[in-house]
Amino acid sequence: MFNIEFGENGEILCSGRLDAAQCAKAEEFLVSVEGPSTLDFAQLEYISSAGLGILLKTQKRLVANSAGLKIINVNNHIHDVFRYSGFHSIFEIEAQ
Amino acid sequence: MQRKFTRSFDALTDIYEFAEEVLAAGNVEDSVRFPIHLALEELYVNMVKYYPDNDSDILLDVTATDGKVCVTMTDYDVDAFDVTTPRNVDTDLPLDGRMPGGLGLHLVQQMVDNLEYEHHDRQSTVRFTKESG
Repeated sequence: MFNIEFGENGEILCSGRLDAAQCAKAEEFLVSVEGPSTLDFAQLEYISSAGLGILLKTQKRLVANSAGLKIINVNNHIHDVFRYSGFHSIFEIEAQ
Repeated sequence: MQRKFTRSFDALTDIYEFAEEVLAAGNVEDSVRFPIHLALEELYVNMVKYYPDNDSDILLDVTATDGKVCVTMTDYDVDAFDVTTPRNVDTDLPLDGRMPGGLGLHLVQQMVDNLEYEHHDRQSTVRFTKESG
């Protein structure tokens, strides 16, 4: 199960598991995001390469428009996935 | 424990639940669960993606003993595709040079302890292990 929605302060709250079966839901939401944005992963348990692809696609679009994604509250496992993928150099990432 | 799964992304939830049954019974540490789930997903998705119209199910065999998890995934009537071949992913590329895709097997190779591949009689078998600690 995966959920994505705006929080009270405009941050984007992600929860559950972002896998290949759920990435269409993430993409449908993120494609409408404009400007500098913060993704809060406090409740996101899991991400796979399918989810990374959506993040990368969104980041490329936003950076092309002088914006970008900041990802906060990243758990240790997702942090490892970002590290192995080299995402630290292309996203602003804060651990939990 | 063995179980067959339908060739669909929709099977992923059932696959996680199946793996959790085995991991819970084997008292596997939480730290091992994430890489096991990730490797299962990436390898399964690859099998589904490259042979979406294949009628055969995919067989999973998962065991957990003394903190060590062993997974065997068998796919039928398929060409060889060696998942152990290094993916040569350049993780230092700047954003401009990145394209979505191509990270799945790279992540599997980084996150499991051992990864093996066999192909004979149009049958692909992938085995991986992950140990606590």
